[in-house]
Amino acid sequence: MKKKLVSVMLTTAMTAALLAGCGSQAAAPAAAPADAAEATAEEAPAADEAVAEEAAPAATGEGSVYLLNFKPETDDAWQELAATYTSQTGTEVTVLTAADGTYSTTLQSELAKSDAPTIFTIGNTTAAQTWDDYTYDLAGTALYDHLTDKALSINYNGKVAGIANCYECYGIIYNKTILEGYCGMDNAVISSVDEINSLEKLNAVATDINSRVDEINAALGTDLTEAFASAGLDDSSSWRFSGHLAGLALYYDFKDAGCDLTAGQSTISGKYLKDFKNVWDMYVGTSAADPALLTSGSFSAEAELGMGEAVFYQNGDWEFSAFSNPDNGYLVTTDDLAMMPIYFGVDDANEGLAVGTENYWAVNSQASQENIDATLAFLEWVITSDEGRMAISDTMGLTAPFDTFTGEFASKNAFAAAANEYASQGKTAVAWSFNATPNVDDWRADVVAAMVEYTCNGGDWSGVESAFVDGWANQWTLANE
Amino acid sequence: MEKSMKKFAPIFLWPTMIAFAIGFLIPFVYGIFLSFCKFTTVTDWEWVGLKNYGRIFYVNGVLDTTFLHSLWYTALFTVTSVLVINIVAFAIAMLLTKGIKGTNLFRTAFFLPNLIGGIVLSYIWLMIFNAILQNYSKTIVSTQWTAFWGLIIVVCWQQIGYMMIIYVAGIQNVPGELIEAAKIDGASSFQLLKSVIIPLLMPTITICTFLSLTNGFKLFDQNLALTGGNPGKMSQLLALNIYDTMYGTQGWQGVGQAKAVIFFIMVAIIAIIQNKLTTSKEVES
Repeated sequence: MKKKLVSVMLTTAMTAALLAGCGSQAAAPAAAPADAAEATAEEAPAADEAVAEEAAPAATGEGSVYLLNFKPETDDAWQELAATYTSQTGTEVTVLTAADGTYSTTLQSELAKSDAPTIFTIGNTTAAQTWDDYTYDLAGTALYDHLTDKALSINYNGKVAGIANCYECYGIIYNKTILEGYCGMDNAVISSVDEINSLEKLNAVATDINSRVDEINAALGTDLTEAFASAGLDDSSSWRFSGHLAGLALYYDFKDAGCDLTAGQSTISGKYLKDFKNVWDMYVGTSAADPALLTSGSFSAEAELGMGEAVFYQNGDWEFSAFSNPDNGYLVTTDDLAMMPIYFGVDDANEGLAVGTENYWAVNSQASQENIDATLAFLEWVITSDEGRMAISDTMGLTAPFDTFTGEFASKNAFAAAANEYASQGKTAVAWSFNATPNVDDWRADVVAAMVEYTCNGGDWSGVESAFVDGWANQWTLANE
Repeated sequence: MEKSMKKFAPIFLWPTMIAFAIGFLIPFVYGIFLSFCKFTTVTDWEWVGLKNYGRIFYVNGVLDTTFLHSLWYTALFTVTSVLVINIVAFAIAMLLTKGIKGTNLFRTAFFLPNLIGGIVLSYIWLMIFNAILQNYSKTIVSTQWTAFWGLIIVVCWQQIGYMMIIYVAGIQNVPGELIEAAKIDGASSFQLLKSVIIPLLMPTITICTFLSLTNGFKLFDQNLALTGGNPGKMSQLLALNIYDTMYGTQGWQGVGQAKAVIFFIMVAIIAIIQNKLTTSKEVES
């Protein structure tokens, strides 16, 4: 009898140890006796890891918050903010950050768990459609009331499914100091930076700079190698073109069609692809990078601008923190940097920077009411408390679309300020029309493949047109069936 | 004896069986079930019957060749890698059982690459390849064939050492008196290889071909890190294609699952056939 009891106990201990690897909270403490029995010594670290990774909120009955963070670069700031909130209010806040590029994968598996995230990020209307069963109606919440521009929310299926937690702008980042120095040179194409107000002008300047790099270096003491930073077509950079640059072609297309600029429509005309080609040819043609090698992933356009090797670099205001962070060792200072619109050759006189967002907070409607309440309280605290506002505008360097971010909490991002300046000059901000892209990864992959064929292998531009236009209609049908 | 086996079964058998069920059997059966469903998270599904299977090949009313392309690409990759890995591993194993100086050092050196994880290995090779290829204005993802040979090189480099160790063990088990007898009978070294060593090595060959075959079919890490499926989706092997369908295409989790089921059936059939073929050639010494 006694033997039987021992055997049952041992079995339990061993099973528990094996289960611990699965990361279940219930099983984790049970792994301890197994260690004592020395049954499965190697399981122990696995169990520890699982516990550390989960760090799931204890069920205190008050409700808890679990934020699945989208931006890896803001992880530290969120962890700190969560700790501050917990120490002030006692509410448990867990922050988990998905590794770069794995958000949808992580979200999919996390939402299936019993301790699912209570706050997650959705990027666009398509995502709101995917997660329709999981999005809580945010209308009437403090978060929504504080939102300055109600267009910065996603309305889907009769509810406010997501609220932007930041808005961003993209355009062409340029090195003001070098460009002004160039303007002062004798036979320069322009005599003042302000003269660049169209694609034609920009192209002329970029071409001139690129062909006279040595002369400029001698005159200004710079280390230029090219006008435009490399237009990498590898996965870490191609989204700048298949997403952001393509966004302008889509924007003018949707504008002609008269449909919602960020929700899009089932077909596109491709009328502005010739402009897309012009800009793309300029990027590739005025850069030192060998077009055939653009897929290698060995280029870092950010570093090229940061080290003063390039004058122009198409990207967004999120780059501001990279350039202002002294740890990166860049030679440019924030005073050197400014941003101009991506002149597209369509309506250059009225075009401003592209302003929008891909980051909307959504609250998990399938969480318990207690957790939803705790979550909404936490979010309100984030956008109203000093700690929260400081973390968002200062530490994370984001521009928040809430009316509480005034005075010292206003964004310090110089690029974001440029967006406002263009707007105050009466220029129209370009909407983020690429947010409408159906099956965004698939569509972009096909467009990039065609661009690679065109740029690196001497293929035909019609391939890009076909991937762009036909691909869109195809993916739209799939995504909406 | 039988009584005590029954008595101790709970201690020794159950934990493993339970773990096996939780970690393998249940997800496997559930996965097959999900291939007939439309789902966003695994707990939130809706039965759609065979629709997912149809969608693997027919999309928007036209034949979709993405899956078929990655199917033949994977098949070609597997055949090539199985041949190269086994032939080279066998050749090295033969060399390293001849008692040349520094045998142990060589064995260790050849085995080492296998200890590095696939992702790290591929990133390092990616740099090497691109550094070399840039002299020819090419990158590893310039065409599907540069990607193909890149994958072959990485996988061979990683697995040859592993297979070599298995072959070394097999060759050392060939009885010396048999070889000696063959030599006395006047067998040439080629005859010795063909009629004595290889027949006796059949069990080892079975294992090595099985391992390299299944490894080739389910290759994922190296594919993801080295080429990422580029250019386009032209260098996607099956596993990456399934992953991409699952997470890349809106509402296609079920289709990814259906592909995975087809993939499993295919690999199982091929592995069984291969096993039968090589096992039937095994002889007793």
